Amino acid sequence: MKVLFVCSGGMSSAIVVSALKKEGEKQGINIEVLAVGTQEFDAEVRNGWDVAMVAPQVKHRFDGFKASADEAGVPCEAIPAQAYSPLGGPKLLKLVTELAK
Amino acid sequence: MDKFVAFLENNLSTPMAKLSEQKHLRAIRDGVVSALPFIIFGSLFLIIAFPPVAADTALGEWSAKHIAEILIPYRLTMFIMTLYITFGIGYSLSQSYKLDPLSGGLLSLAAFLFTIGVKMMDDVGFVLPMTNLGGHGLFVGMLVSIFAVEILRFCKTKNITIKMPDSVPTSVARSFEALIPVSIVLLVMTLITVVFAVDLHSLVDKAVAPLISAGDTLPGVLIPVFLITFFWSFGIHGVSVVGAVARPVWEVYLGNNSAAVAAGKAIPHIAPETFFQWFIWIGGSGATLGLVIAMLLTAKSSYSKAMGKATIVPSIFNINEPVIFGMPIVLNPVLIIPFIITPLIGATLAYIATSIGLVNPTYVMVPWTLPAPIGAYLSTGGDWRAIVLVMVNLTISVLIYLPFFKMYDKKLLAQENMVETTDNKNIAL
Repeated sequence: MKVLFVCSGGMSSAIVVSALKKEGEKQGINIEVLAVGTQEFDAEVRNGWDVAMVAPQVKHRFDGFKASADEAGVPCEAIPAQAYSPLGGPKLLKLVTELAK
Repeated sequence: MDKFVAFLENNLSTPMAKLSEQKHLRAIRDGVVSALPFIIFGSLFLIIAFPPVAADTALGEWSAKHIAEILIPYRLTMFIMTLYITFGIGYSLSQSYKLDPLSGGLLSLAAFLFTIGVKMMDDVGFVLPMTNLGGHGLFVGMLVSIFAVEILRFCKTKNITIKMPDSVPTSVARSFEALIPVSIVLLVMTLITVVFAVDLHSLVDKAVAPLISAGDTLPGVLIPVFLITFFWSFGIHGVSVVGAVARPVWEVYLGNNSAAVAAGKAIPHIAPETFFQWFIWIGGSGATLGLVIAMLLTAKSSYSKAMGKATIVPSIFNINEPVIFGMPIVLNPVLIIPFIITPLIGATLAYIATSIGLVNPTYVMVPWTLPAPIGAYLSTGGDWRAIVLVMVNLTISVLIYLPFFKMYDKKLLAQENMVETTDNKNIAL
């Protein structure tokens, strides 16, 4: 499964990304994740991702991201604040797998 | 309380965050951000030119002797940062309008060059004075970039363009498409700066002078600090919202400070963005490294213990979204209080320390992911007292966060115990 994250600079989500990957390994799901900053999202989302996830700190820009994702035909969802933490892996994985269906 | 929070979120923080997504503000922000690598690269040469060693050491003597050459990479990057930024603004703004970004960037750059004023020097020929190409000219750069792209957009939407037949290659057609808007923009610029000989820079300087001096006062520092943590309290990226408005001013300060150092003059400004980054946001917005240290020292609940361990390393490198959303601080009345108070106190102390000369003002830009003591040391051009200031502010932040964290941790612990007892009961049943 290929998951694209967008946060403000592509840095903070890197930590959440590793939590998600770890949880995926635990459950035997192979997840490829990339975290990008807001500027790169529009171009990157067109490169064949299964799911796009929007970090909570840039949620106020959700409409714009959603529009780009829709154009690319990628399901796009905001990450709830509670799942955006190093310990939020399980919650996040559940969300991502449901969205990818 | 919940109603009050919802009221603030719906009526204040979300609309303001949306405002920062306004196309022009966003283009300015993205334009400035795109120039940061050049600014960081250039400013490092300031450290080499003025190394933090005594003047009579080998290094001190070497750099004093070669100072003009050492500063050339600085002069071609940070010293003329607005040249890069105008291209970035024009590029981003055209992109957001779905115009050809390259045309928009180039046109903005050209419009900006028209404001500089070509000079003739006998022994070298025609030259462009560099001063206004730097931070000093940033506001003019912002204005003409926006003007240029808006004309581009106007021509496009009104279909004022030279259409090529379909057989002409796209890239050729595109260059002709831009011909009319380019001519309009540059003719207007010629009219203003050549025919009427208006010096846009001194004009705009006068207009923004109140803003430039206001941003460098203590209230001018505390207001953005408060707003940034206020936004984060609702989970909105505070720096990206407040920075959309404040960053041009911060960049002007940084440009002026570095130019003053390179010219061997006194450093004029206290509050470039580097001041906020290194003295206030220790561990990220809200100075949350103090909170994480408090967690590591006193956590009783297993959640806080795990969070402390998981977030200490990113926090040292000023990445604190995991703390802000994980603890969470967002919409958490107990932790929001120290989250807002701590940076205000740290800012006040750092402002006083800098203004009475206890610590050098910052003038070097280094990547924001460096640990605070190193970043502070480098950005003050190697002032060890900056490390002391960071340590003092860090200690204070731990002390302020500690009682609030304990209060919250007690609540977490009680919840954990309750879950455990109900679990045990379930097993017993």
